[in-house]
Amino acid sequence: MTPSLVVAATVVSAAVTVLGLASTVAGRRIGLIHLAGAGLLEVLLLVQAGAAAVAMAGGTTPEDTPTFVAYLVGVLLIPVAGVLWARSEHTRWAGSVLAVASAAVGVMVWRLLQLWEATGA
Amino acid sequence: MPDRSPLGPTAEGTGNPSSGPARVLVLLYAIFALAAGARAAVQLSTRFSDAPVAYLLSALAAVIYVVATVGLARGGRGGRRTALAAISVELVGVLVVGTLSLADPSAFPDETVWSGYGRGYGFVPLVLPVLGLLLLRRTAGRKAADPA
Repeated sequence: MTPSLVVAATVVSAAVTVLGLASTVAGRRIGLIHLAGAGLLEVLLLVQAGAAAVAMAGGTTPEDTPTFVAYLVGVLLIPVAGVLWARSEHTRWAGSVLAVASAAVGVMVWRLLQLWEATGA
Repeated sequence: MPDRSPLGPTAEGTGNPSSGPARVLVLLYAIFALAAGARAAVQLSTRFSDAPVAYLLSALAAVIYVVATVGLARGGRGGRRTALAAISVELVGVLVVGTLSLADPSAFPDETVWSGYGRGYGFVPLVLPVLGLLLLRRTAGRKAADPA
């Protein structure tokens, strides 16, 4: 759990959010650029989950471990769910669906960092 | 050219002006159902005795979000009625709990989704029911003009 990874994930999630909203405004469905952005976001989240798992195996656990783990795993599902849902949406609101999912990830990574920094003991 | 846009292929018309926004709202509700549900599950299972009222409220909020999500997603007359009931309870809940949590913080030793009008969640819990009710009103208005 490093702040730089959280910042990177935030930047990507903000970009995907803006692109998603842009598609809605332009009256389009989602395109390759959205898939690439969401894919990159998911990779960053997986790296983060891996790093956190390694650190926790090494004995560094946050104070509120159950909540932290729930967020860590939950946040991985959101870009996937957002993309699947947005792809099944054939109207211009596909981008908005992805934008909401992506914005939620952007918020959740900061909450994760907050939980991590409250290291117990 | 239009289909080459990096922003994606041209969208199809919905033929139903509120189905798109409804989907976005359903997703928001689903995220909150998940967030509130996970939070309540953790709180109730690990430290129920610390703040039973706050944690039971979290669980109640989670259930209401789930009911509203399902109601909105199902649509139709029954779905809309279910959603209307859930969202009304939600709006009252966020206002009452928000007010109480500010007026008497000692009654809420731990945060709930609705504490301080949802300030822990960017006030989205306060905005969500208003958007939900507006959307339901819009659909109801259109359905009344076109009974089905």
